[in-house]
Amino acid sequence: MAVGVIKVDRAALKKAGGFMGINAMLKGLTVTGRHFFKNLFGWMVGKPQVFTVMFPEQDIAKPPSFRGMPVLVQMDSGKDRCVACGLCEWACPVDCIHIEPGETEDAIERYPKVFDIDMGRCMYCGLCEEACPEEAIVMSSRIEIAAFSRAGTIWHKSDLLTPVDELPRRLDYVRRSYQR
Amino acid sequence: MSDETTAREPSAAGGRFKKPVRVVIDGREIVAESGHPLLQVALDNGIEIPHYCYHPKLSIDGSCRMCQVKIEKAPKLAIACNTPVADGMVVDTTCDEVAFARKGVMELLLVNHPLDCPICDQAGECYLQDYSFGYGSQESRTSSPRRKGLKRHPIGERVVFDQERCILCRRCVRFTKEISQTDELRVFGIGDKSHIGTTSDRPLNNDYSINTADICPVGALLSRDFHHKRRVWFLQEHESVCPSCSNGCNVKLGIFKNEIQRMVPRRNDAVNDTWMCDHGRLNYHFAQDETRVRTPLVRDAAHAAPASGNGAGADVKYAASLDVALEAAAAKLRGAISAHGAGAIGVLGSPHLTNEDLFRLGQLVQALGTPNFDMIVPVGPADDFLIKPEKAANSTGARALGVAPGDGGKDAQAILDAAKSGELRVLLVCGSADAARVLGTDGAKDAVAKLDALIVVDATRSALTDAATVVLPGLVWAEKDGTFTNHAGRVQRIRRAMEPHAGLLPEGALFARLAALVARASAPGAYDAGATLREIAGAVPAFSGIEFDTLGSAGLPLQEPGAAGAAEAAAPAQA
Repeated sequence: MAVGVIKVDRAALKKAGGFMGINAMLKGLTVTGRHFFKNLFGWMVGKPQVFTVMFPEQDIAKPPSFRGMPVLVQMDSGKDRCVACGLCEWACPVDCIHIEPGETEDAIERYPKVFDIDMGRCMYCGLCEEACPEEAIVMSSRIEIAAFSRAGTIWHKSDLLTPVDELPRRLDYVRRSYQR
Repeated sequence: MSDETTAREPSAAGGRFKKPVRVVIDGREIVAESGHPLLQVALDNGIEIPHYCYHPKLSIDGSCRMCQVKIEKAPKLAIACNTPVADGMVVDTTCDEVAFARKGVMELLLVNHPLDCPICDQAGECYLQDYSFGYGSQESRTSSPRRKGLKRHPIGERVVFDQERCILCRRCVRFTKEISQTDELRVFGIGDKSHIGTTSDRPLNNDYSINTADICPVGALLSRDFHHKRRVWFLQEHESVCPSCSNGCNVKLGIFKNEIQRMVPRRNDAVNDTWMCDHGRLNYHFAQDETRVRTPLVRDAAHAAPASGNGAGADVKYAASLDVALEAAAAKLRGAISAHGAGAIGVLGSPHLTNEDLFRLGQLVQALGTPNFDMIVPVGPADDFLIKPEKAANSTGARALGVAPGDGGKDAQAILDAAKSGELRVLLVCGSADAARVLGTDGAKDAVAKLDALIVVDATRSALTDAATVVLPGLVWAEKDGTFTNHAGRVQRIRRAMEPHAGLLPEGALFARLAALVARASAPGAYDAGATLREIAGAVPAFSGIEFDTLGSAGLPLQEPGAAGAAEAAAPAQA
C-alpha cells in the first residue's frame, strides 16, 4: 500500500498567519471571546449556555462504552459474584489486581477474601472485564481516584463492590460486545 | 488390566522382553524395546498422544480410551497404552479417524463434567481442559442436566473429593492398590452409576494420600492444603529436594510472592519415582511462619545499645547487625580457647544443613581445634517405601563429610552432658530444636546457666535460640543453593527458590566468616555454594567429580569404592 503524502505549503501557511502569526491569534481570540460574551449575557439574563459542568457537584452521564474504574458486581443477596478464579489477575497487563481466594459453605464454594485493585496503577484497558467468566468485574463510570497517599489509591473489596442495579447498562454492553 | 505386579518396583511393566524393535509412528522410524507400551514409546520420542488413565508408574487400565491410534493392518483403532510395541508396527496418530475418535471420547467425558473451571484448583494443569482445547469440540450437543454428585466431600483428612468432576480413569484406585497398598478407594456401582468412593469405615488417610490428587487428571481429588489457595499459573516452580527425611524425594516448590504455596513430587526413578509422602509434602510451613529467626541477636551487656532504655543488663537480648553478632561469637570462642583450651568448646552440627554448609562447619571446627564435634540426627517412624527413619535431609552427607567426634572428642550426648555439668565453656549449636529436645527443659536451663556462651546458628526458633548468648540466623533449605546427600548416598541439588530476608546469609557463609574471625584472618570472599562443592570434590574422595553442573536434576551417587549405588550413576532422570 502506497503511503499518502501531504505536502505542506509552509510559505502559504506563513502568509495566512499574518505578521508574527497575529491573524491566527486573532482568530482564536474571536472564538474565545464569542463564547465568553455569549455565556456572560446568557448568565445575566438567567439563561446560561455554559457547556462546562461544575464537576464535583455536577456530573455528565457517560455512555455505556465508557471505561472508568473497574468495580466488582454485588448480587442482590449482598454477596459478590466473583469466585476468585484469578483470570483478571492474570489478564491484567499492569498487575494491579491482587486476589486472595477463600472458601465458604455456600453452593459456590469460592469467594475472594481479599480483592485489591491499585487504581494508581490501573490503566483502564478493560482486559479484566473481558477475561471474567462470571461478569463479576466491569468497568464503571467512576473516575475519581484522588487520595492522600499511595496506599489510598488501593481499593479494597468493600470499596469496589457495586450493586448490580447500578450497572445494567454496562453489563448489557459487555454481553453485546463480547457476544455472550 | 495388568496382573498383580507390584509397581513399587521400577519398570515393572516392561520387564519381559528386552529386544529392540523398529516401529514407525507418524512416519518417523523409532527403535524401541519390545514389550513397552506404544504410548510410552511415543511420549519418550516427543510424539504427543492424549491420555488420562495411563500413568508410567501404575498398571495399565485402558479405561479412558483417549489414546486410540490407527495401527496399520489392525481391524480397528487400538489404545496405545495397552498395545506393546512390535517389530514393523506402523502407527498413525494424526489421521481423521483418530481425531474423530478423540472428539467422541472428549464429548462423552464432558457430558457430565461440570463447568467448574473458575473455582476448580486443577484449572491450568487439567488434562481435561488441555485436551478439550486440543481435541474436543467447541459446542455441546446435549441439553439434559448434568449428573449431580458429591461436592467438596472430605474423602480423607488431607484430600477433598468432587464426584461430579471425576472421569473414572481409576488412577487413584490403582494408586491405593499398587503404591500405597492400602486399598481405600474403589469403584462402586455400574455403568452410568459408577463412582469412586471409600468403604464406609476407611477414609483415604494413608501416608501417601495426596499423591492421588497429583495423579488425578481432573479436579476430582484435590489437596486440602492447597485447596483454593492460589491459581497454579501464578506459581513459579523451582526444582528442589524434600527436607523432611533422608529419602530425599525430588520435589518442585511452587512459589508465589516469595512464599511456598505447595510442594509436589518430581519424577526421579532412582529416588521416589513420582511419589512423596504427605508428611514431607505438608512440612514446608516452617520456612515462612512466625517461628523463623531472622534477626541476629546478642545477649551481652557489652553490646547493649545505650539508647535501648529498657534496663540494659546482661539478661536483655539485643538485635544486632550480623557483623556485631559474628564478632561477639568469635570473641567468646577466642576467649574460651585462651582461658580453658580448645577442649572447652563443643560444636553440634546439624543433618539439616547442606553438604556445603557442613564442609565450612568442618573447617571452622578445625580452626577452633576442638575434638568435641558431633550432630544429633532426629529419628522417627519409617515404612518400607519412601519414609525413612532419619528425619533430616543430609545425615548421610554429614557422615561422609566427617561430622563426628575427633580423637578423644565427645559425641553429641557427651557434649550436651558436659555442657550441663559445666565442663564445656562455649557451645556452638546448629539444629537447635533437636538439641533442645535431647536436653529437655531443665537440661537446657542447666546448660545455659553453666556455659559462658551458647552460640546458636539456626533458621527456626527453639528453646535454645530463646536462651542463647548469640543467635546467628540461618536460612531454610528453600532459600539457599547447595546439595543434600540422601540415605543411599545420592547427592542431589537444592536451589534458591525464595529470596531470604535482606542481610541474611547461608550457614556456610556464617561458618566461613566465623572461622576467619576466630583465626583473626582477613574476611573470606563472597560465599558461593558451587565453589564450595568444587572444594569438597577436591578434598573428600567420595565427592570427587560431583559439581552443580554434573548433578543435573536427578543427582549423582557418592563415589564410594565398591558401593552398590555407583551402578545407578547413569540412571536416567525423567522430568
